[in-house]
Amino acid sequence: MELIRYAPQPNLDAVFSALADPTRRAILRRLSQGEAAVAELAQPFAMSQPAVSKHLAILERAGLIERRIDRQRRPARLSARPMLHAVQWLTEFRLFWQDSFDALDDLLAELQDPDNKDKT
Amino acid sequence: MELPSFVLDRDFSAPPERVFQAWTDPALFARWYGPGAQTTILNQDIRTGGSCQIEMRWGGRAQYQHLDYHDVTAPTRLVFVVVTCDANWTPAAPPHAPDWPTHLLTDISFAATAHGTQLHLTWTPHAANAAQIAMFRGAMATLGRGWGAGFDLLDAILAERVT
Repeated sequence: MELIRYAPQPNLDAVFSALADPTRRAILRRLSQGEAAVAELAQPFAMSQPAVSKHLAILERAGLIERRIDRQRRPARLSARPMLHAVQWLTEFRLFWQDSFDALDDLLAELQDPDNKDKT
Repeated sequence: MELPSFVLDRDFSAPPERVFQAWTDPALFARWYGPGAQTTILNQDIRTGGSCQIEMRWGGRAQYQHLDYHDVTAPTRLVFVVVTCDANWTPAAPPHAPDWPTHLLTDISFAATAHGTQLHLTWTPHAANAAQIAMFRGAMATLGRGWGAGFDLLDAILAERVT
């Protein structure tokens, strides 16, 4: 899909800064069910439309959403690529500890029972 | 506002003395720290007020960390700042995430349980600027559950868009 192919290389700083805010995370969650215009997005948050527009601008700068030109509506929709990079980064981060601790488990077992170190 | 933290709990089937030793005896530490990496501990001075340097190599890739020990109390508590460095041991964030905090305060407690040890680890930005704290907060929020977290959200997006 073109929108994905031409998306700029996501900047993880902008992505994670955008995701730091609970309202913006809620907006993304809503958009995961399909595109929506500002008025629809503002409704559940008891927020003014300009306030929601500000959040949308931050999400758009981070590449997490795209906005279609549709007269006044400019509906927003999620953009997969930056989220994919963000999740890959977090997976690496989590695996660092998980895999290290698995190795520590093995080492502790070996220290406990040095005769059994060939056992896997 | 409270600083964002990464929190991890893990149980080990060995007593706290043993688990603690695996963190503080450089020869043992090098054998498990850095998953699948060839890990070398340099300038080994693991004590309260001491430090060490860690080089991890995976094939052609390398990662460097400088550790400053704030509290080394056997066998219950270990507190150190881990500084992500470049090959010259200068603090440096990863190139694709320049606001990732270079200094993370690592606070680990070791508690005896019926089966061994419960390890509780927290990672909190240390002496970080606002951009680094925001970046870390967002990363931790994405990692966390309860908002249709990043991983679930990604599934939804991928199902719809990338086929």
